[in-house]
Amino acid sequence: MWKSILYKEWLKIRWFAFIYAALGILVVGNIFLKVQHDFEFSQAENYWYSILFQGNQFYEYSLFKFVPLLGALVIALAQYFPETVNKRIKLTFHLPLNENKALLAMMLFGAFCLLAIAAVLVVLFTGLSGMYFPSEIIQSALISVAPWFLCGFTVYFLTALIVLEPVWKYRFLYLLVAATLVPIYLQTAAARAYSPALPLLIVFTVLLSVALLFSGYRFRKGEM
Amino acid sequence: MVKISRYILVFTAIIGLSVVLPQFYRMAFEKPTKTPLIQYSCIDHDFMIFRPDADDKWTNREGTKLTREAYEKKLPLMYTRQLVMDGTMPDSINGQKINIQHTGIFRSIFRITPDEIHAPKPKLYPLFESKSGRANLEMPGDFFRITWRMEFIDAKSNKILEEKSRMFSAVLYNRGFKFPAKSINGIPTTRKSCDEGYLVIDSANQLFHVKMAKGVPFVRKVDLPGEMKFKTIQCVDFSDQLYYAYLFTENNELYVLTPYDYMLEKFEVDDINPDEYEIRIYGDYFNFNVITIGSGFIRTQVLNRDHNKVDEYTETRPTYQSSSEGKLAQFLFPAELKITDDKSSFVNFFLTVSQSYWWLIFSLVLIAGQYFIIRLQKKKSEPKLLT
Repeated sequence: MWKSILYKEWLKIRWFAFIYAALGILVVGNIFLKVQHDFEFSQAENYWYSILFQGNQFYEYSLFKFVPLLGALVIALAQYFPETVNKRIKLTFHLPLNENKALLAMMLFGAFCLLAIAAVLVVLFTGLSGMYFPSEIIQSALISVAPWFLCGFTVYFLTALIVLEPVWKYRFLYLLVAATLVPIYLQTAAARAYSPALPLLIVFTVLLSVALLFSGYRFRKGEM
Repeated sequence: MVKISRYILVFTAIIGLSVVLPQFYRMAFEKPTKTPLIQYSCIDHDFMIFRPDADDKWTNREGTKLTREAYEKKLPLMYTRQLVMDGTMPDSINGQKINIQHTGIFRSIFRITPDEIHAPKPKLYPLFESKSGRANLEMPGDFFRITWRMEFIDAKSNKILEEKSRMFSAVLYNRGFKFPAKSINGIPTTRKSCDEGYLVIDSANQLFHVKMAKGVPFVRKVDLPGEMKFKTIQCVDFSDQLYYAYLFTENNELYVLTPYDYMLEKFEVDDINPDEYEIRIYGDYFNFNVITIGSGFIRTQVLNRDHNKVDEYTETRPTYQSSSEGKLAQFLFPAELKITDDKSSFVNFFLTVSQSYWWLIFSLVLIAGQYFIIRLQKKKSEPKLLT
């Protein structure tokens, strides 16, 4: 039964997951195409200097900041919007399974897909960075991009919450909460500036993962 | 589990709104306050104050109103160009004949703010050739780190330069340097008059001067009195070349490090806390003006060129909390959660709790209002019996 539920989730999101992964790989590739070009044209030492002392954040190129957010939004919509059409999610709730566990399994599957794509992108990013930069610059870059990927997870959990919520008034209120929370992950800051905030941001993101249960509960209750 | 998810939603909403609502309120109602410029006059031996947003812009310490021209005449070493243009630059000050070119050499401006102290620091630095024989400094092709040894990394190949790393590490080790470095302080730019390398604090809180001269390491240990620890070391490149750096200690004292003899000379000033206050140091031919600007005050301590205190002046300033809009904010919000702070370049959760308890009244009014709304809604939804 569980396998079938996960397979159903996979069928819903697979193309969107592939598109997100492909877009992410293209963006990372484009970033390092630019790095390679700048290395050639402005000399390696000047390029390092611009990163270390002049605030050049090479990883911000190609709007990389918004790629995890967009990917998560698309995957969450692909996964949960079909469930609201004709209230199909109720079919899942009628299965001989614990309803909360079924919802959590759906959410964990989506989150796992996001995590897998994030891992691919981070490994690719780190590997390519290693060709041009020493560990200090790579570490700074990874700390700086970490909130963007956490933002992706937050957007995924909040989108699931909003899409599954049956009452429009509540949807709007959740949207307001999302609008206050998401910018916290996307502040313009110096490299490594996010390092003290990262542990708390991780806690928030993990906590938000169970928020979806509340919408599921209201759906089951038949709130209109 | 469903209950937990509900609490999490409420908690998330509280976090998000405590960031956004006070921020929107500030953007809508906060008014800017401009910092006055307080300078010591070498003519009157008194403080001259310029308040940009006051009706009487230029005054002295007693509040006597001055014209702009009179104000500038009291500070000839600050407004030299204007006075020369007007033909009112004095020939001598305090009985000393003034040579404009010569006095200009002693003019220095330094400024540091808490957000520069609390900021992510780079972990790699370029080590310039300090005796290249060239007029301009050139960017080296490698950068160094000081971890378990001093390592130079070639930027082009991204590989460690073993020979150079071993040479510098060995000299540091022989001079008693305890790896790794706690802080590396210098002016890592080619846009300076000359290179004096870096002042490095090692893991045993010892201070070293490290530079490269004709391709070989120059390492000199600086003798520190007692267990001196530094909040920050700010290297300077002033035209008089009298100091390597301003050194701010953990107990809020200020020192300068002199070149050649490596003497630590104390500035006779107190409460110099760069963690909390903006520090400005204006030097001229006669005096140093050491200015600390904190929340609600500005203080100028004046020293002579021997670093002894001559005079000081403190003035209070209005703060956001003391303003009417700040008081209303304390009535509306129990706390303010900020993601960025004026005193830090890091992104973090900065919580400021309201200093008064007026917000309790407002919250109680809101709770009562909500209670009546819920009661009204319940009454409306009660089924009416048909009689």
